[in-house]
Amino acid sequence: MARKKHPPIQPDWWSKTLAGLVLGAALALGCSGLFDALNADMPLETRGQLAMWMVPPVWLVALSGVYGFASGARAWLCLGAATALVLGAWLCVRLA
Amino acid sequence: MRADIVRIYKSVHTWTGILSGMALFIAFYAGALTVFKDPLARWASPPQPATYMPVPLSEAPQLISKTLAVHPPAGRNFTIHLHDEEHVPARMGWEVRDAGGDDHDESSVRRYMATLDAHGTAHVAETQPSAVGAFIDVLHRVVGLPVDNDPNRWVMGVIASLYALALVSGVIVLLPSLVKDLFALRVGKNLKRMWLDAHNVVGIVSLPFHIIMALSAAVFAFHDGIYFVQDKALHDGRWSAGPPQVATAAAARRDPADMLAPLELVARVRAFAPGFQPTSLQYGQVSGPRAVVRVWGKDAAAVSPRARGGFAALDPYSGHLLSTDFMPGQQNTPNLFISSFFSLHMAAFGGTAVQWMYFLLGLAGAWLFYSGNLLWIESRRRRAPRKSQGMPTQRLDTRLMASATTGVCLGCVAGISLTIVGGKWLHGHVSDLSAWHTLLYYGAFFGSIAWAFLRGGARASVHLLWLAAAFTLAIPFTSLLAWGIPALGLWTHTSAASLGVDATALGGALVLAWMARATARRVHAGAPDSVWSAAAPTSPTPGETSADLAGTIMRETTPNAVRR
Repeated sequence: MARKKHPPIQPDWWSKTLAGLVLGAALALGCSGLFDALNADMPLETRGQLAMWMVPPVWLVALSGVYGFASGARAWLCLGAATALVLGAWLCVRLA
Repeated sequence: MRADIVRIYKSVHTWTGILSGMALFIAFYAGALTVFKDPLARWASPPQPATYMPVPLSEAPQLISKTLAVHPPAGRNFTIHLHDEEHVPARMGWEVRDAGGDDHDESSVRRYMATLDAHGTAHVAETQPSAVGAFIDVLHRVVGLPVDNDPNRWVMGVIASLYALALVSGVIVLLPSLVKDLFALRVGKNLKRMWLDAHNVVGIVSLPFHIIMALSAAVFAFHDGIYFVQDKALHDGRWSAGPPQVATAAAARRDPADMLAPLELVARVRAFAPGFQPTSLQYGQVSGPRAVVRVWGKDAAAVSPRARGGFAALDPYSGHLLSTDFMPGQQNTPNLFISSFFSLHMAAFGGTAVQWMYFLLGLAGAWLFYSGNLLWIESRRRRAPRKSQGMPTQRLDTRLMASATTGVCLGCVAGISLTIVGGKWLHGHVSDLSAWHTLLYYGAFFGSIAWAFLRGGARASVHLLWLAAAFTLAIPFTSLLAWGIPALGLWTHTSAASLGVDATALGGALVLAWMARATARRVHAGAPDSVWSAAAPTSPTPGETSADLAGTIMRETTPNAVRR
């Protein structure tokens, strides 16, 4: 199968920035929740600090990577899927 | 890397850079100086009055018990300083925080000290240590705003986030030509090429430092909010509730006179960790059942959890070690991990060599943002048409940006030097010295900005560089004057830390003077078709023909707008 030529990237500044801010925050919170749930044996004092420290890096990586998506819609779709996956995994670990 | 991705990230880099550049300049310049907050405080601290009698460390137990007898509330939290340094007012001191004040706001803290007179009677007095170090630290923490409070920290957080975006986008833009461009510093006629090469090489070489700063600054700005959300979402409210209170039998009040002597406590810590250099003992709840003493200190071979070092927690009555969670070199892996974030931001590892490295990296960072703004201006430059005589008018936005950049950046440099030196001259002549620090800094800062807009970026940059050089030179000059003419009532400390401030300021003043001379040359003899030329017209001149204007507009709209 021949590789399709990429269509040019749509800037979609507002929808991409909003996706990075909103979904990036949800993704970061989900990652910190997953970390927290997987390390329940660590003292809360330490675990809580590490969980807090991982939020801005994840959030800012999402926010800075979001402009590479082909369009705003794709950004919402891909970041949304990643967020749903992480939040789902967190829920599973919490319920398990 | 696809060309359209690079183009998009070039827009991201331009916008985030231009929005955050000047705030980041202030944060980095003030931050570089904050590395040497203690030496600055020592330089600025007045000498002890002639009547002051220092209490030897061996008599600290009497000092503690007699002070607590006349002033029991101090037993909640007081400090015994192990070293006699210029900015330490007395052997024993404590702070009282305003109940309604912000946790991070140092301005509402009142400080007290205790001494013994010749008859062994304790005397308590309020002290007003030099606020200059704290003032510069606040400028650093909230990008040049005067108070470290919630809204200002959020402004800092937004700037830090823009900074992170600018870093990522800058690297993406540079990636396709990284190998070609990294070690190329093309010094020559093409000034924009040279500045861009320099901007790229400083950015790439100090990238790890900048990634650490961007991420940790975002955490320092937003941590209260994140903890609040996580307390609800992750910890079911247990985070804000704190550790469970262990029920203790109603213990009898303990007598602080029974505590081990500070020298004995220090000896126990030194025996436990030989590389650890204790600096102070912070006592807490000494009359209660959970009395604790935190032996603060540094270990140059280890990671310190805070800028001032770390501590071992001991029981001051038995001398038993209670916790090493915050002790440099003695932490478990998760705590060491958390400490490393603080340590990497605050240069709290590796001793003085690393502090100097951070000082230079901080100044290089400030230059990085300054050069970014210059490149933004240079990309929008209108060049003189080759064949005709007319000189184009530079775009209004580039002229305003030139004024803003020189005014804000050089105003910050001049203001900080003025507030450092002004504090020494005003000591004893004004009642509220910390308010004067604010007044002096913002006076010079806003005055510089006003001057830059009044006279244009080109001319003002020369004036402001000379002003900054003069204020900075005044720092060592004041010390020299105080040493030569004692009648002035000023003072000169001769510790290495204090003389280091003088020497560094002298070096800084020389660099600023050199920059002022180079800038003056450029302004008067450089290419006239630039915002940086004193000869450049600021409004269309009558001599400019319509053909010239058309030529300028044509050039502006042609696609080769990015001239490298």
